[in-house]
Amino acid sequence: MSLRISARFAARELRGGLKGFRIFIACLALGVAAIAAVGTVRSSIEAGLAREGAALLGGDAELDFTYRFATEEERTWMNEVAMAVSEIVDFRSMAVVNRNGTTERGLTQIKAVDGFYPLVGNVELSPDIPLQTALADLQDLPGAVMERVLIDRLGLSIGDTFRLGTQDFRLSAELVNEPDSAGGGFGLGPRTLVLTDSLANSSLLASGTLFNSKYRLNLPANNDIEAVEATARNRFENSGLRWTDARNGAPGISQFVDRLGAFLVLVGLSGLAVGGVGVSSAVRSYLAEKTSVIATLRTLGAERATIFQTYFLQIGILSLVGITLGLILGAVLPIALAPIIEARLPIPSAFAIYPVPLAEAAIYGVLTAFIFTLWPLARAEDVRAATLFRDALGSTRLLPAAKYLAMIALGLIALIGLAAWFSGTWRLTLWTAGGIAGALCLLALSSFLIRWLSRRGGRASKGIPVLRWALAAISGNREGAAPVVLSLGLGLSVLAAVGQVDGNLRNAISGNLPDIAPSYFFVDIQRDQMDGYTDRLQSDPAVSRIDSAPMLRGIITKINGQPARDVAGAHWVLEGDRGVTYSTELPDNTRLTDGTWWAKDYSGDPLISFASEEAEEMGLKLGDTMTINILGRDITGTIASFREVDFSTAGIGFILSMNPGALEGAPHSFISTVYAEEGAEAQILRDLASAYPNITAIRVRDAIDRASEVLAGLAAATSYGAGATLLTGFLVLMGAAAAGSQARTYEAAVLKTLGATRRSILISFALRAALLGVAAGIVALAAGIGGGWAVSYFIMETNFSIIWPSALGIVVGGAVATLLASLAFAWPPLAARPAQVLRARE
Amino acid sequence: MPDPVLSLKNATLSLDGNAGRVDILHGITLDVTAGETLGMIGPSGSGKSSLLMLMGGLERASGGQITALGNDLTAMSEDALARFRRDHMGVVFQSFHLIPTMTALENVATPLELAGVGDAFDRAAAELDAVGLGHRSGHYPSQMSGGEQQRVALARAVAPRPEILLADEPTGNLDGANGAAIIDLLFDLRDRHGATLVLVTHARSLADKCDRTVRLEDGRIADPMRAAAE
Repeated sequence: MSLRISARFAARELRGGLKGFRIFIACLALGVAAIAAVGTVRSSIEAGLAREGAALLGGDAELDFTYRFATEEERTWMNEVAMAVSEIVDFRSMAVVNRNGTTERGLTQIKAVDGFYPLVGNVELSPDIPLQTALADLQDLPGAVMERVLIDRLGLSIGDTFRLGTQDFRLSAELVNEPDSAGGGFGLGPRTLVLTDSLANSSLLASGTLFNSKYRLNLPANNDIEAVEATARNRFENSGLRWTDARNGAPGISQFVDRLGAFLVLVGLSGLAVGGVGVSSAVRSYLAEKTSVIATLRTLGAERATIFQTYFLQIGILSLVGITLGLILGAVLPIALAPIIEARLPIPSAFAIYPVPLAEAAIYGVLTAFIFTLWPLARAEDVRAATLFRDALGSTRLLPAAKYLAMIALGLIALIGLAAWFSGTWRLTLWTAGGIAGALCLLALSSFLIRWLSRRGGRASKGIPVLRWALAAISGNREGAAPVVLSLGLGLSVLAAVGQVDGNLRNAISGNLPDIAPSYFFVDIQRDQMDGYTDRLQSDPAVSRIDSAPMLRGIITKINGQPARDVAGAHWVLEGDRGVTYSTELPDNTRLTDGTWWAKDYSGDPLISFASEEAEEMGLKLGDTMTINILGRDITGTIASFREVDFSTAGIGFILSMNPGALEGAPHSFISTVYAEEGAEAQILRDLASAYPNITAIRVRDAIDRASEVLAGLAAATSYGAGATLLTGFLVLMGAAAAGSQARTYEAAVLKTLGATRRSILISFALRAALLGVAAGIVALAAGIGGGWAVSYFIMETNFSIIWPSALGIVVGGAVATLLASLAFAWPPLAARPAQVLRARE
Repeated sequence: MPDPVLSLKNATLSLDGNAGRVDILHGITLDVTAGETLGMIGPSGSGKSSLLMLMGGLERASGGQITALGNDLTAMSEDALARFRRDHMGVVFQSFHLIPTMTALENVATPLELAGVGDAFDRAAAELDAVGLGHRSGHYPSQMSGGEQQRVALARAVAPRPEILLADEPTGNLDGANGAAIIDLLFDLRDRHGATLVLVTHARSLADKCDRTVRLEDGRIADPMRAAAE
């Protein structure tokens, strides 16, 4: 009964239209739209990846081996289950061009293919010729195709010759697109495609060289891919096989998109929290206007529940309007922008309306609206009939009833729980929620402090009336200090934190590292080349340090005889293959944290020294056994020591080191880092590449640039999310400015009556806005720096320093934003004639 | 002597404000009998509106006892008071307090709807006719004059047939002609429905229309000016 009457009353109240609710609706719509758009883009990419799974993978399934080709047994099995099998070899090398006595070198990621490649999709070349024609021998020179960026870097033209290792190749076309490019992951060099047979005389695939062999299978149409996978894993997993199939053709990208999407949704949630402040503020203002209506209804006999339900329903309907608008925007915008997004994405996508991300955004919107409106709504039922004739005295209590506080708490728990469930990362969700809650508490406290300081400052600013008026307005809460500081402050906090984390990461990668990072990584140095290699470098006064180590790659398959993943979960060390080395003595700059290093003449069973931090994360202890599959052979060793490994210096760092006897017999090459003066780097590369054409040099500065490019993309995506948050903050700001317009009009009328000019009133308005903006900016800066420090220190584990340009930008931005919002509503108060305003007030 | 419809015994009202505690009413003792019309007059700030609000359970007494139709208002919760007003009282304000988003008809129907009356709108329409505004039933308050709004408020107050009618300066916001018309209507409705009427007013002439008048000064009853109708 009560609910039916409430619904009727709510419907009548809604006749007032959306006046006063535009900001409310916009805040919710923007927050929901941002989350829905991120989710839609993520789903579109995932759908694209799923649809193009086989093309991305280059077949229905792929078997990947590190460091070796498939054995006869493995090949036989593949030929039995597949209709077609294609072999790919993937490795890094140097492309070399000799021209007029000078030599140009470029790092390249080589994909050596057979005659069946590609099993799925097409390779696009320019000029448009068949791939096999492009790769075939012509005048005794094998053909090759290359990406444009490397062609330009080496100054090549179609038909020119270049060398890989000791083999010359003819550049027959530009590689425009390879169907399976997205599945390959992060490559340090542009792609070169050749035939595997053409590498026979290149000395690039010698024993111990780092390469991956991949076998793509075309399975019969009615195949049971799960069964095929199970058989492959059962038969070959212990020999170092990695399985991928078209169900998830680019697992690395899929996981990256998923994680980035989850992170951006969490950034979007902070935007919704900012919107929540605006929503709460709008409901508070609205209900303040409705006090006399509520009191009248109380006089006429309406119970508290009727009042609560009436406005709960009304706000609920308006929330649904905002959420629906947000969902429409969030679903349609990515589709409208699909051509632009698709052009920038290196991976396939299928833009459409996906219900799951929209449902996720809708749930977030509903919960946010519920949490942020319940407090003011609950206080509405406390409005007493006596308010009709007595404004301020004893109208409401400070806190809503306990049941509403409990409901708000439940809503919060549901929101955080769902966010964690949707994002799949409890830790990040709790960090984000804690960060938002912490920032909101800090900002709420700050708004009290700002009002207190304004009161003190007001007394001290006698003789400067415009400043005194401004401070009085802030301290008297006429300017809505709380919503302005909360909304703008939270928006700016997110932006400040993103700016600080991004700046510190960039510093860590490109700013600090070169001081201590090596100039070059050299890989694939053969054992018999090591002496000559070392002699060349040691005789160079520009070289300050050379670190070399034998390098094998292996997959940790078992711990204490159990499958490794069952023991240590999905730790990153268990994902794919890891570098393994051996050493007689404990290397310099290495510190054992537990256990002992093996004796120089140790010749017993294999012993392992493991990185201490990772060991702790995986729950390893001394005496545990570990089985590592290297080149298809299982080696089981016992953990004899743990040692500190610092990966942050970009030097050589191995998770796994073993006693020489365990690995020496296996074919392998060496890896080496060279620390040299920048001016000597080019000559070192020329000399070593000429003497040892098979070795690959990776310039650390280039690798850092490449990593920085990826980082820049991530920072840009995050900044867009933070930008949406800030835009919501600005909307709330406009709402607060609009809500205070009536009070300012009255104030201006009184001041004009007392002789104040429009100019002085305008200066006072501008001052109060700027002061609030700067205050919000400073608090946001403190919160952002705190958040940035926490992320840098606890998550990124990098040094932290304040990025001042970004920091100052935040403070100035805060002032400008409030100034603009305030000035947008400045004219009506200035233009109104005092008599009209004062008469209307009587 | 019949049981009083409204009875105040040593009722006090004090409120906490920014300037500290303010004593509004001091030990008011007053009975109002069934069917009686009582006028309350006094200067601004004497506490007459506050006393009316105590009688309506709109304000909570700080001390003493207030009973209405035998029910102790001081012991009731806010919701119980709301239900009591819904079932037994009608209130008319100086500022009308119509709900701006509701039409005249809906405003009048609201207390009936709250009481769960099935034919709320038919009865509301009849009440509007009775105050001469049947033709304005679809109009919103902002589309009506002050006098019309107060007539709607009167219709709303009497629609549930309350035993007690409380009027707080119902002509305070109206010009002389409209004010006189409203008072005539108020007394006419009261006569028609037989309710007990308590009327707060500044105007002695209006108070003189009542059976009895009390004068308030500084929160106290100064003197019972007329004990009964002549």
